[in-house]
Amino acid sequence: MTTLLRLLVLVPAAAALLGLLLARQVALARAVAVVGALGTLGIAAAVLVGQDPQTVGTARLIPALHLGIPGQDAGGLSIPFWQTASGPVVLIAFVVALVAGCVQVYTTWYLRDDDRYGVFAASVSLFSAAMLLVVTSSDLVLTLIGWEVMGWCSYLLIGHWSRKEAARRAAHKAFLVTRVADVGFVLGVVILAGGAGTTSYVQVSGYWAGCQDSASAQAACAAVDHRVLTLALVLLLVGILGKSAMVPFHDWLPDAMEGPTPASALIHAATMVAAGTFVLAQLFDVLAADDTARAVLGVSTAVTMVWGAVLAFGQSDLKRLLAYSTVSQVAIMLSAIAAAPPQDGPTAGTFHLYAHAFYKALLFLLIGWMSVLAGGTSAVRLRGVARRSVLLHVAFLLGLASLAGLPFIVGGLSKEHVIEAAYAGSRAGDATGTLVLAALLLTVVLTAAYATRAYLVVAAGPANPPTIQGYRPSSHPSGADDGAFAEARVIAGPGGEMPAHAGDDLLEHDGPGGRLPAAAATDAAGHDLGRPPVAVLGVVVVLLAGTVLGGLVLFTDLLPGTRSPSGAITAVTVLLVVIGALLAAIASISRAPHPAHALSRGRVDPAVRIVGKRMPLFDNGFGADTAYRVLVAQPILALAHGVAHVDDRVVDATARLCARLVAWTGGLGVRAHSAERPSTGLVWVALGALVVGAVGVLGWR
Amino acid sequence: MAMTALLALPLVVGLWLVTGGRGLPRTTAGVAALVTSVVTLGLAAYAVVARPAVDQAWVPAAGIRWQLVVDGISAPLVVLTAAVGVLVAILGLRHVPEGGSAATFHGCLLLVEGGALGTFLANDAILFFVFFEIVLVPMWVLIGRFGDPHDARQRADAAARFVLFTVLGSMLMLTGILLLVHEAGTTRLSALPVAAADLPHGVQVLVVVLLTAGLGVKVPLVPLHTWLPPAHTTAPTAGSVVLAAVLLKMGTYGLVRLPFASLPEGWSTVAPVVGVIGAVGIVWGGLVCLVERDLKRLVAYSSVAHMGFVALGLATGTRAGLQAALFLNIAHGVISALLFVVVGGLKERWGSVDLSRPRPALRETSPHLGFALLLGFAAGLGLPGLAGFWGEFLAVYAAWSSAATDAGAHVLRWCAVAAAIGTALAAGYALRVARVVWVGDEVPPGTARFDADGGERVVTVSLIAAIVVLGVLPAVVFSVMTDAVNRVVGG
Repeated sequence: MTTLLRLLVLVPAAAALLGLLLARQVALARAVAVVGALGTLGIAAAVLVGQDPQTVGTARLIPALHLGIPGQDAGGLSIPFWQTASGPVVLIAFVVALVAGCVQVYTTWYLRDDDRYGVFAASVSLFSAAMLLVVTSSDLVLTLIGWEVMGWCSYLLIGHWSRKEAARRAAHKAFLVTRVADVGFVLGVVILAGGAGTTSYVQVSGYWAGCQDSASAQAACAAVDHRVLTLALVLLLVGILGKSAMVPFHDWLPDAMEGPTPASALIHAATMVAAGTFVLAQLFDVLAADDTARAVLGVSTAVTMVWGAVLAFGQSDLKRLLAYSTVSQVAIMLSAIAAAPPQDGPTAGTFHLYAHAFYKALLFLLIGWMSVLAGGTSAVRLRGVARRSVLLHVAFLLGLASLAGLPFIVGGLSKEHVIEAAYAGSRAGDATGTLVLAALLLTVVLTAAYATRAYLVVAAGPANPPTIQGYRPSSHPSGADDGAFAEARVIAGPGGEMPAHAGDDLLEHDGPGGRLPAAAATDAAGHDLGRPPVAVLGVVVVLLAGTVLGGLVLFTDLLPGTRSPSGAITAVTVLLVVIGALLAAIASISRAPHPAHALSRGRVDPAVRIVGKRMPLFDNGFGADTAYRVLVAQPILALAHGVAHVDDRVVDATARLCARLVAWTGGLGVRAHSAERPSTGLVWVALGALVVGAVGVLGWR
Repeated sequence: MAMTALLALPLVVGLWLVTGGRGLPRTTAGVAALVTSVVTLGLAAYAVVARPAVDQAWVPAAGIRWQLVVDGISAPLVVLTAAVGVLVAILGLRHVPEGGSAATFHGCLLLVEGGALGTFLANDAILFFVFFEIVLVPMWVLIGRFGDPHDARQRADAAARFVLFTVLGSMLMLTGILLLVHEAGTTRLSALPVAAADLPHGVQVLVVVLLTAGLGVKVPLVPLHTWLPPAHTTAPTAGSVVLAAVLLKMGTYGLVRLPFASLPEGWSTVAPVVGVIGAVGIVWGGLVCLVERDLKRLVAYSSVAHMGFVALGLATGTRAGLQAALFLNIAHGVISALLFVVVGGLKERWGSVDLSRPRPALRETSPHLGFALLLGFAAGLGLPGLAGFWGEFLAVYAAWSSAATDAGAHVLRWCAVAAAIGTALAAGYALRVARVVWVGDEVPPGTARFDADGGERVVTVSLIAAIVVLGVLPAVVFSVMTDAVNRVVGG
């Protein structure tokens, strides 16, 4: 078990290194990436099968560091680098490895003509290694390592198509926003470790939350300063909110849609945004010890889940719709951790993380497929595209059903668990629980509405994308999209100030082969680009199976402490889902004979009907990007200019002034010596010598 | 014997190259320098493993001895210096800048290397000072004669600044050393902590202030840093590498050996101020990097920020803080060496490294150099898995959990916050450089493409390997330092 745990991280890391070295040899790079990912999946499966709930496996990843003696001298720190394998850990590790494997296989098709495929695949391998490190970590520093490496990988993946300005900007923004939030994460880790003198999860929990278990630990409790604990947890949460794309850090995630679709699937489903939930689940005992931190998390997630769902509904681009749905869904996971009663544990959140991984990976990979068929990801382009393949149609429908939370499908089950947890928290008199519960119920309606909208768009018939009404080639500078909505955006946006707009687009396939984006194109080898190879269809089937049958995990003991939702909760949830779906469906009915943006006869895109001309506002996230620039970036840059100015005109000028003074006095001396009466100068010199001598004599005594 | 040979070899060969062998042809001089530096590296490795010690009378009248030892604190620096010596010899072999004969160039590099090795090996305060100063003249020649050929005035200004700032610092340091040695009654560095333990508090503080101010010029600490950016901008690539990877380390090493280890009591009084200076340096350097237009100056200011972390680590007075500072010393040496190799190479080809001038993206035209630049900046922003992470994280940790008294601890905690913010600023400027230089639009077919040549490849690949190894297996360095660190702190 210990060796397997180590290999779980080391194999994908080695695949990343090897893949990078072989990046130019496409065939080899592909083999390394796929074999590495499948090998990792095999190891994860072995760990999952071999897991024994009685004995939790541990392994030391690299040699431990002991900097001073913990507990005996301030500043001493012990970093043991432990990994662990409890039930939820091995379950989530398996899901991560599964999604990463699916993404690697899918990428071999999706990016097969990309001249930087090798680098991309290596980054994906490194990304999954970092996520597996976070998942299996039982050490704050190991978590921090995986955490930051993921951030960097997201920069590389989002900016993969670095020849596009929009992709460069999105990558830049994603890394900067999360890194700024990570200031909090680092400080939180530092404070938590500083109290305990070690970074081991077990000892950190024991130190900060130990006094809740037994009265015998009273001595330890006295040492814990609760204000410090609150500070540490709030700082840690800031980092987690950043990486998980919660308000107010959320705006990097929709822009990150500039990355290739496999990267989006990885970031949204199994890594990066999901990591924060798992870290908090591992540190649940510490979090539960502090109500302030839980309230902070509760408020942020409650706001985010509604905010994300509202924005998702009004997006003109379906890939961005999925991005906002991730924002909303991740908020649901985290809210479960904030709202659950301490004795229940974080299981509801972990379960939703598990469920979300399946259906979100599925949805993203499908939308990538659709974008290849339709040549873009805007709602206008994707009209009716699902009708071109039965598998595509069914899989997308079930993925959306899971997202919306229909019962018995994994997403519905997990959402009911979260609602149950929040209800339990609320009933226990916890204000955070009540707030989260209210937000959850509202979000269920909204989620069903936007999921229905997405389905109505892609399933609309008859499908003939190239002749859609209102289609005109776009003059959008980033070339990001075409069609009426893009034009509306350009007109509404203040002169190119709009956030970079997202989506797989016409420039997506701009590899050296110059592949045509049109649906019916074939590549040099004569393959039909719209029909993925069997391996990719297999990936879709695997994820679909997970989406439908993933709930079976409840019959195992991998998710201990699950509180089954009551019948009333299920009934209420179903009712709300139906209400949301009906609202969207009713809004799509139009009596007008030839409505603009028609989906099919008598039907329009419900978002167009409801949001209408305000869609550009939704597309730019209600101006979050502008707020980042005006409130954060510009003041810091102004400060930087000020500092640079002071550095030159004050600090360095002082040095220059000194040099001038010395040179000037030197000049005076020269002039004194070169004067007409040398004797005077000599007198001064003699006098000076005399003074120095006198001082010396006097001072000697 | 090996110790003396380790010092004598680069110094003697270097001296010969700048005097008698000045007229040697380029290749001969280069090969001679390369062989010398490789043998020196071998000797350094032997010295680090076997730890021989030399102790002979030198100036008996003043009680100054020729004492050389290696311990856990100096060992990583000795290896770093010798290794960098080999790398710059390789760089010199592929390209000698205008300004003088190749032999002079190589000779100066060897003299710097020898002087730096002496600084790290000396176990006598006066001997330490002598070696510290030996470095000055060859470095001045490297900047003033072999520097940026475009602007003679700027060259003279940078070289003069370098000398004047450093000499000013040296004088302060010499005063401090003499006062310390006079009061403590010994020049032996390893004996100073005991001998100086009973000095009056006022004297301790005075000595610490003198030493810190003097060494702070070399480190450099804000606000004594303004010599560094011009020196780096002007110096030839090899000179920049040596300056960043070796010379700055002499300053921090001096801080560890003299005020930190010898006068812990006086140091603890001054430490909060040093911590604040370090934290200010981190933020200051980071902010300037956000708007600096010249890439070489930008890297120099990022060095100021990184040295701020070192100062902060030392200010905590804890084992973790000292380990952080020492590790960061090595890490920064490797990272800045890589950055200056790449940026210097770009400057050779582009003529300038002005960031405001649009150029074809490195990712399109020069994948190898682009990768090295990106990795260097990633390491510089403290990305885990690369060398920069450990020192920065531990410095923040140590600052938060310092051993200082109440008021001092409070100050240092704010410094920890500032330092953490500094890591976000580092991300800001690293990505700024990546966005301006590394990524960009597809280049038209006829665009000139260039990439690292053989020598640059050898150098960058070795430095990248070192950065990754230090990042993944930090125990390699920490385990070497542990004993010495425990001896110094709370010994």
